[in-house]
Amino acid sequence: MEQFLSAIFAGAASGSIYALVALGLVLVWRGAGVINFAQMGQAMFSTYVASTLIMHGYSYWVAFFVALLVGTALGTMVDLLVMRPLSGKRGSAMLASPAMRGTVPVIASLGVLGILQSAAGMIWAAEERGFPTPVNALGLSIGGTVMPFTAFDLFVIGFVLVTLAITTLFFQKTGMGLAMRASALNPEVARLSGIRTSSVRTLSWAISGAASSLAGLLVTPSANLSPNTLDLILIIGFTATVIGGLDSLPGGVLGGFILGLLISFVNVYDSPSDIFLAILILLLIVLLVRPQGLLGSKEVRRV
Amino acid sequence: MLKIENLITEYGAVRALDGVSFTAAEGKITTVIGANGAGKSTLLRTISGLERAKSGAISWADKSLISKSPESIVRSGIAHVPEGHAVISQLTVAENIEMGALFRRRNFRSDVKLAIEEVYELFPRLAERNKQLAGTLSGGERQMLAISRALVSRPKLLLLDEPSLGLAPLVVEQIIQTVNDLCRKSGLTVLLVEQNANTALAVADYGVLLSLGKVVANLPAAELKADAALRAAYLGY
Repeated sequence: MEQFLSAIFAGAASGSIYALVALGLVLVWRGAGVINFAQMGQAMFSTYVASTLIMHGYSYWVAFFVALLVGTALGTMVDLLVMRPLSGKRGSAMLASPAMRGTVPVIASLGVLGILQSAAGMIWAAEERGFPTPVNALGLSIGGTVMPFTAFDLFVIGFVLVTLAITTLFFQKTGMGLAMRASALNPEVARLSGIRTSSVRTLSWAISGAASSLAGLLVTPSANLSPNTLDLILIIGFTATVIGGLDSLPGGVLGGFILGLLISFVNVYDSPSDIFLAILILLLIVLLVRPQGLLGSKEVRRV
Repeated sequence: MLKIENLITEYGAVRALDGVSFTAAEGKITTVIGANGAGKSTLLRTISGLERAKSGAISWADKSLISKSPESIVRSGIAHVPEGHAVISQLTVAENIEMGALFRRRNFRSDVKLAIEEVYELFPRLAERNKQLAGTLSGGERQMLAISRALVSRPKLLLLDEPSLGLAPLVVEQIIQTVNDLCRKSGLTVLLVEQNANTALAVADYGVLLSLGKVVANLPAAELKADAALRAAYLGY
């Protein structure tokens, strides 16, 4: 029983981080039609900034919020410095076919990833670092009994749930949220309604950057920080969006939690070496039964 | 006054508009009729900024619209209701309407509220269904919603692209009459594109007949309607 509960809590904690990664990916996919492979590179970079601040004696929370700002700024810059100039070149011969128009920004995001990873290697000498947690990451004990979860698990789950709730309210209840949904669903009608879709697109990149830097800050304590640590998180987060539905925000979040729990249960009841086999089998089943993902819409865009 | 001079728009090698010139008088309904592929939709799409003109001039109230973006053109009082009941089906009726007024909500908050109340009065069926997803509406209701979305931006010029497409005659009649009332009562200028020439000419003041991207007739609607030779040559009946 205790083993079961601890698998649930550990799964929910890592699942909520994958949910954040998926949220970031879906936001940019819906807003800009790009799978952003640089996303966890941005998160890695902002986490390094936080780590450096902490090493210089700043408190965890100062570093935390600075990292969120850096993540937001990086997301914005990827759009303004890379994606927007690229879409301005739509008339060029290389971008003449729709297939290339879909592919080139993805390749560009891989380029950004390379730049961020090399830059981090140059600035921080690619040394592996630990990263602290704001609360204790050891088994929590209440009244002498050791609980099947840690304070940090609860912190992560709580923080992510609050973030998801705020994001949902923003999208459902504010004018800017409506503008973002409209631009993603039908850019032409959105523009005719006076919505500045290119600014909205930049905002998607910015929010995605914030969400992924939060994911980076929350996941790094359980792995060491190096320029490549977060690659694996991106792959799991991407799998989560495919399982949940690439164009659905709730779908991506659901996919994140499902994968977190799956990984945790395989880890506890089977063996860590089977984790990727289990993910692959789940992915195959979803793609065979529901290729658009659990909550995705029917129109599957072939990538 | 909407003034169009020598307008040329191309899709790749295909010339959709081939030197179109005409004016649409303020407070009147001007209808643009013509067969499929005559360039009617392209004309509206070029006016609203969705397509780039290759050459020529478009001006509204003496201000040029050439090379402006759709989002700034709607801010100068020109609302375009594109072909095919263009609403966002995954959003609710209320959200579709609100969307049309988003750009005015900061500076004209109370007027936005009023504009939304007005369209609900105009189309009570939308008020009844305002929490439903737009995708669940009938074709006629969707067209009403698309028009409402345009009206809450408080346009001076309304560009309507084939509002009758795929709708039952009774619904078409109701929508066209509503547009007619708006024009007569509040001085809205309307540029109405229609394939259904009889319906359009019945309410319009002026008719522009387009064929293969060129204007072949520009007459008061009644005269165009009476010209059997033109109708036979270009509209096929």
